[in-house]
Amino acid sequence: MTRKKVKLDFITNDSARKATYKKRKNGLLKKVNELSTLCGIDACAIIYSPYETHPEVWPNTLGVQRVIARFQRMPEMEQIRKNLNQESFIKERITKTNEQLRKQYKNNRKKEITELMYQCLTGRGLEDLNVVDLNDLGWMLDQNTKEIYRKVESIKKRAPEQKAAPPLALQVPPPTPRPTNGGGC
Amino acid sequence: MARKSKGRQKIEMTRMSKESNLLVTFSKRRSGLFKKAYELHTLCGAEIAIIVFSPGKKVFSYGHPCLYSIIDRFVTGKSSSSSSSAQLVEAHRSASIRELNMQLTEMLNQLEAERKRGEELAKHRKASQGKCWWEAPVSELGLQELEQLKVAVENLKKNVVKQAEKLMAVEASNTAAFLGASSSMGGGHVGPSNIDATKVPHGLGLSMTPHGFTMGYGRGFF
Repeated sequence: MTRKKVKLDFITNDSARKATYKKRKNGLLKKVNELSTLCGIDACAIIYSPYETHPEVWPNTLGVQRVIARFQRMPEMEQIRKNLNQESFIKERITKTNEQLRKQYKNNRKKEITELMYQCLTGRGLEDLNVVDLNDLGWMLDQNTKEIYRKVESIKKRAPEQKAAPPLALQVPPPTPRPTNGGGC
Repeated sequence: MARKSKGRQKIEMTRMSKESNLLVTFSKRRSGLFKKAYELHTLCGAEIAIIVFSPGKKVFSYGHPCLYSIIDRFVTGKSSSSSSSAQLVEAHRSASIRELNMQLTEMLNQLEAERKRGEELAKHRKASQGKCWWEAPVSELGLQELEQLKVAVENLKKNVVKQAEKLMAVEASNTAAFLGASSSMGGGHVGPSNIDATKVPHGLGLSMTPHGFTMGYGRGFF
């Protein structure tokens, strides 16, 4: 079984196309079978190819006719509602992929800005950043500030008698990425 | 080996017992089934119709070029003759499908690339978290560390705001200069003197309200 990525385009080589058709056709029929069995639902498949005059079907001719009859008994609105063809299928996938892409960009951007924030906290300058970067950076800093306040509150609540140790000198942590006060690392 | 999902494990070919699993399985496998049909058509040009009834009695179907024409062909036993106009329509559809396909492939490649980038960024984060205490998640820090970090963060925020205001003042004055030059015929000299930098409104996304950033300006991602 090949695990190479197949280019999703019409196979021009006749013999390769016929071989692929055979394999995938069998696979498709198997999948319909599994879906029907595992979920206990009615299903049918009809496949026409240039290689045979008669279609390949699942489960069998009678079974297909039964499912078609059940399908045609449904109101037309219901029939069409979840109907897909090649174009609508691809468009749906494009929409889904777009959504995933957006999420991934947002995720990556968050990571980028977090990285930027730590660099700036340890001495990186702001001069080469544009307004968008600065905006996002400011947002991230606000989020961090909120988190820090929350955590400080929760610590103080748990041990109110314990006086907070006087903060160290008010300076930015040194630029070298090595632990300064022996805590945390 | 305990696994969260049953992917790549052998399962029994009988009706699933757990209702919730059954519904999820239906959803995923139906989707995968249609994908396989789409691929079979793209790769080999087969004409396929699939009808599936959901556990909730709804019907899902896939059919290309058209579900009803394939059902017709199956039921009546004869295929609709391909007139030249039908062939033309089919050719147009194929062309637009090819285009859509290319668009989808391009997007999937982009997604793959962004995912890899995300992995790289995450790896980098993990590596540096080990070395710098301030990069650890806030929940793991002690009181003294938090106080120190808070000061640094608030300081940086002030500087960021200052820098952003500076940039926008420059941009505002550039805009004014451009407008001034275009409206006065003699190429009048409109310098930045009439722009008061302190009046740059905070509404431009640099608000320090408790709600944090409003992202009103610029095209940030949040």
